Amino acid sequence: MHRYPRWPIHLALLAASFAMLVPFYWVLKTSVSGENIFAYPPSVMPKAPHLFYYVDVWYYIPFARYFLNSVVVSAIAVAANVVLNAMAGYALTRHFAGKGVVLMLFLSCMMVPFQATIIPAYLITGKLGLLDSYLGLALPQCSTIVCIFVFKASFEAVPQSLIDAACIDGLSEWGIIWRMMIPLAKAAVATNVILSFIWSWNNFLWPLIVTRSADMQTLPLGLARFLSYQEDTTGALYAFCIMVLAPGILLFLLAQKEFIEGLTSGAIKA
Amino acid sequence: MSGSEVSRPLWHRLLVNRFTIVLASIALVVAIWNAYIALHDHGVVEGRVVDAAGQPVEGATVVLWVLDFTTFVEKTRAITDVDGRFVIHGNDSHNIQIEAEKIGVGRARRVPVRLYFKAEDVRLPSPLVLAGSG
Repeated sequence: MHRYPRWPIHLALLAASFAMLVPFYWVLKTSVSGENIFAYPPSVMPKAPHLFYYVDVWYYIPFARYFLNSVVVSAIAVAANVVLNAMAGYALTRHFAGKGVVLMLFLSCMMVPFQATIIPAYLITGKLGLLDSYLGLALPQCSTIVCIFVFKASFEAVPQSLIDAACIDGLSEWGIIWRMMIPLAKAAVATNVILSFIWSWNNFLWPLIVTRSADMQTLPLGLARFLSYQEDTTGALYAFCIMVLAPGILLFLLAQKEFIEGLTSGAIKA
Repeated sequence: MSGSEVSRPLWHRLLVNRFTIVLASIALVVAIWNAYIALHDHGVVEGRVVDAAGQPVEGATVVLWVLDFTTFVEKTRAITDVDGRFVIHGNDSHNIQIEAEKIGVGRARRVPVRLYFKAEDVRLPSPLVLAGSG
């Protein structure tokens, strides 16, 4: 039995949810009706909804090509994040000389914005011969410090006695990570997948700089290109936004339970 | 991992989970949609032309306009038969307009027709009505 009534909390949560969902609803409504968002009085329900704005988007720009590019780049980023961050996260749970310095270095690097490192990142990618390639597009996002700490928090929750038992049984460090830690850290894996996917999927600045041919552009660049082509495309523009957002929302909805577990696993560690 | 999950064989766990089911469902819908497109993308536009009294008009010229980036351009023409029917082949657009005219009978306003994919076969739901002096 609760000491205080719960309805004020639920009311506040409902109000917050409403405030957060209304913009999404408005984008969805405009994408199927094309109504001007500045129209007054605004209509809550779409008038004569149809899907032709989605058809327009599909044909005005090479949407399928941009979608494929975004999928490939995001897949590379997600795979690299899971593998590299798991290894880094496990290393940070072990004791070694200079561990404190490494942790401080990681934390301080989080404060450096990507825009500040974009020129060296471009030069390195160029030297590697990866400009205008899928690997080059994914390279700066192949490991993120936040996700390393998500793995670190998750691995630290595993009892040391379990790791010691694995060592006694002859399992190598590599085996401990992939055969013991990762199966126990599904929530951290899901968090890594979702965060790295969304960051890669929505990235605009790096693909803008590193791509040279139109065939290598990703969806955010396609949106900018679409805006430059069309001037009066309220409905089509919003349809494009929905088509770009949909995969990220779908992935989040599929893995939201593990995602929330992954983000809170460090917070509730005993 | 729950006990029931462990008891299931690996292939079952890989196939029967929400990720696989959702992605497979999307793939199935895409495959069905593409099959439908493949069967209905001959670029045929059919319809009828009638006069103000609702009588079929023979020999009316029907013009197909297609969207060319931002403006509509004339693509092709057809002539109606004795029943006022016309069939236009070679539409390769998803956003078209149809116009009809016969000198001495009148002209039908351009009718916008939106299609769900390029070259979709379409039959106009209502006839084009020639009105005015022509």
